[in-house]
Amino acid sequence: MEDFFKHEDWHHWFERYGPKLLLCARQWTRSLADAEDVVQEGFVRYWRHQRGLPGEPMALLVTSVRRAAFDLARRESRRAVREESAETDRARLEPALVAPVEGDERRAAIEAALARLPEEQREVLVLKIWGELTFEQIAAQLEVSPNTVASRYRYALGALRKEMTANHCHG
Amino acid sequence: MDEELLKLEAELKSLRPIAPASELRARVARELAPVARAGAWWWWSAVPAAAALAIALVLAGRKEPPVSEGLAAAQGATFRPVAAEKVLYAAADEGPVTLADGTAARRVRSSYVDTITWKNPKTNASLRWSVPRDEVRVVPVSFQ
Repeated sequence: MEDFFKHEDWHHWFERYGPKLLLCARQWTRSLADAEDVVQEGFVRYWRHQRGLPGEPMALLVTSVRRAAFDLARRESRRAVREESAETDRARLEPALVAPVEGDERRAAIEAALARLPEEQREVLVLKIWGELTFEQIAAQLEVSPNTVASRYRYALGALRKEMTANHCHG
Repeated sequence: MDEELLKLEAELKSLRPIAPASELRARVARELAPVARAGAWWWWSAVPAAAALAIALVLAGRKEPPVSEGLAAAQGATFRPVAAEKVLYAAADEGPVTLADGTAARRVRSSYVDTITWKNPKTNASLRWSVPRDEVRVVPVSFQ
């Protein structure tokens, strides 16, 4: 099983999963630089030690990246609170998504609305839509029930719709 | 979910996450680069010995006044290989080829940088040598 994926195949895996992992990592970190660090650590750990494990690769990768994010948060917990809030604000300003053809304004509005969602709802939405995980897989990640995940997802979509409708009316 | 939420869900799915910067990819490449096998070490240890011999021959041929203390120390220095690493920085599938016996295969090119570090345990001086290298492999393709 160890050699099931050749070592060099990591390029293709990174191409395929890298963007999704980076977006997920941004939900658990304060800056893009931190998100890149945890993607690096999580991906390398997965590729070295876990790529032969049975199961959905994306779910295993997300687990590895999330653990790396928590490890980083523990290491950095002594950092000053004001520094944290400043970094978080900057991170929210950097785009995380690309619109398919055109409609960058709409993309920016969606990202802004996403940033205003409660953290637990945004996390579920990102893991479901862009991480392409099932409710069961997300529940296992977050250690909550699949019903709770499904509820958070519906609340997140509802809140987004409300935000987007309000923006549309006022804009 | 109502139709409006399904539409919003579809719109969200149409947005793609931004790709990681190439610098992040390079960092992952450095971390995942396989290290050189121990079996190749004897060859690398021969290189500084050959270099030292060449320097000694050149200096002997010159018959110059006595060398400075620092250079004398360098001449007598024994450098030993302490690290060898191989960094894969690019890999490309160059497409299908047909071998002489008609076997279908693919040609894969991997670009590496080999870095060897020697150290003089007496003086702690170190020497690092990086060499770019391309490796082309022809992998037979089996159709099932």
